[in-house]
Amino acid sequence: MKLIPSAAFLSAFTLLAGLAQAETVLQVTTDGNAETVAAMEALTAAYTAANPDVTFEIENRPGGAEGDNLVKTRLATGEAGDILQYNSGSLFQALDPAKNLADLSDIQGNVIDSFKSVVTASDGTVRGVPFGAAMGGGIYYNKNIYAELGLSVPKTWDEFMANNAKIKEAGKVAVATTFGDTWTSQLFVLGDYFNVQAEVPSFAADYTANKAKYATTPAAMRGFQYLEDVFKGGYMNEDFGAAKFDDGVRMVATGEAAHYPMLTFALGNIKQNFPENLEDVGFFAQPGPSADKNGLTVWMPAGLYVPAASENIEAAKAFLAFVASVEGCELMIKTNGATGPYLIKDCALPADVPAAVADMMPYFQAGATAPALEFLSPIKGPALEQITVEVGSGIRPTAEAAALYDQDVEKQAKQLGLPNW
Amino acid sequence: MSTSFSRARRRNMGIAATAVAFVVFILPFLFTFLMAVKTKKEAALFLFSWPSEWHFWANLTEVIKARNYMLLLAYFNSTVITVAAVAGLVVFGAMVGYVLQRRPSGWNRVIYAGVLMGLMVPPAVVPTIWVLQGLGLFKTIHGMVLIQVAYGLAFSVLLYRSFIGTIPRDLDEAAIIDGAKPLAIFFKVILPLLKPVTVTLIVVQSIAIFNDFTNPLYYLPGKDNVTVQLTLFNFQSQFQSQFNLLFMNILLVTIPPLLVFIFFNRQIVAGMTAGAVKG
Repeated sequence: MKLIPSAAFLSAFTLLAGLAQAETVLQVTTDGNAETVAAMEALTAAYTAANPDVTFEIENRPGGAEGDNLVKTRLATGEAGDILQYNSGSLFQALDPAKNLADLSDIQGNVIDSFKSVVTASDGTVRGVPFGAAMGGGIYYNKNIYAELGLSVPKTWDEFMANNAKIKEAGKVAVATTFGDTWTSQLFVLGDYFNVQAEVPSFAADYTANKAKYATTPAAMRGFQYLEDVFKGGYMNEDFGAAKFDDGVRMVATGEAAHYPMLTFALGNIKQNFPENLEDVGFFAQPGPSADKNGLTVWMPAGLYVPAASENIEAAKAFLAFVASVEGCELMIKTNGATGPYLIKDCALPADVPAAVADMMPYFQAGATAPALEFLSPIKGPALEQITVEVGSGIRPTAEAAALYDQDVEKQAKQLGLPNW
Repeated sequence: MSTSFSRARRRNMGIAATAVAFVVFILPFLFTFLMAVKTKKEAALFLFSWPSEWHFWANLTEVIKARNYMLLLAYFNSTVITVAAVAGLVVFGAMVGYVLQRRPSGWNRVIYAGVLMGLMVPPAVVPTIWVLQGLGLFKTIHGMVLIQVAYGLAFSVLLYRSFIGTIPRDLDEAAIIDGAKPLAIFFKVILPLLKPVTVTLIVVQSIAIFNDFTNPLYYLPGKDNVTVQLTLFNFQSQFQSQFNLLFMNILLVTIPPLLVFIFFNRQIVAGMTAGAVKG
């Protein structure tokens, strides 16, 4: 009599134990951006629906320098969880990926080659999958102002400056400038990289090898010159020193300003705060010296990585394979809309994208894109944003600024232990 | 003549002080409140203006419901950490301060140097995490409590030691003659006399621990371990922030320390002057 219940207990217990063993909880760390969280929640929910034995815990981390410190601290102490969302390119290299991140070379079937190159560790293995859309760095313009003044999209810098002159004459702000958020000041320099490499194709390699310098390469120095030109022309808003990123977005969306040099992720901000102005905003790549060599500088999206110290590497890889599939890509588009191309083969964008994205697509279709310098070279000087603020505010002349930036870069290169420095 | 002059002068000083206090303390709070009741679009303008539409209730519920009621869990965690850590700081700080003050020995200088080092040398993050991992305390609430006690102990020992110097030894001796044991002397005679400085310590430390951001960020990772300051990241990121919800969250997070401050207001002033009498 007494045996039966205890046997039942025993079998129930083993069943429970079996279930508990099959249950895997993956710890995910992402930045706190609303779009990142929404995409991650949609992906994990879909994955758990298909694989009920895998569940997720999503944790947010701060962005910026604080976030960099946190991620490095957690990797150093082996507490980074199972899946990590973090920048690709030079910031990815700073994580010491060959030591800290797991090898994901075998789940890259659908990933486009240009992304693989920015998440490849020093030993040649690929250690990340793309998460989110690629971004273009260029210039937003207000279509209403363009229509009102009868302007056309500029293909060269001279045309751009001519447009600015007409806009200023009409009493409007030509170039929204937001040095209150210093990082926004770098766009004219960084977004010019397509034009730089069109003229000097070997710049990234020579620059990394300490053979080319900003101050001695006229094509590269032009980015600083553009900042100075815009300041000298008086094309900026009056409060350019104090205005913030949010102000710049507002100005170009609502027609207070005609141009705003920025990355395409600002569309998310327009969508959130000015949905009725979304179709008023267009986008063009930063114009350079010649119209037939103009193209778009592209920022790669963040990647998802698996820390090497994770206890669930296989389960995490299975989930990342899902993220890097056409199905996962379509799910992200459905959640956040299309702000740019996703770097997954055969993952097409819907037809009804915002005007600025539609303006950006031809560059990709024509192959007129180049990754930004920070994805081609591990060196990016930490003080660039301060230097560009100085140039853009008329405090420091172009040549001096380029030379100063070369010095700034030297510190970074020595810290990374690059040969030739 | 001179008295009326000084009275007028005093009144003007009073008005000036009130105005400064208003600008420094009330205006930011007012700004936070106005931002918290605006729509996303209006809040993104970042203006000190009256909201055109009141979204108090909608923003409040959205903030509380965000990320599966994360804020409520954060309130609970922060309260547990604050109460436990402050209790530890009061008891241990008073005990160490008492022994240091009452029992002169050669070790006192060494211990005192250690306390001062605790106050001045900044703690390093990664080695601390290694220690916590070795002890099995990493990612636990009680581990976080011990961290806060360790970081705050030096300050409370100093505060208590100087205050205990103002309590006459005769009280201890009277208790000893009456047959009290050392623990009984401390808990029944000395600790009740420390009330003013204890209140100061409770207020200062509980606000510091409740508002602590970096320590929980590094030492207490994990979704279930979230504390109130970390919930701000639900609405703030480098490129896109929902300022109305962010400010509503700030408003909600500010309320508990504000209550502590209002509740203990009178004792704080008494405690500050009490601790400052003798070094």
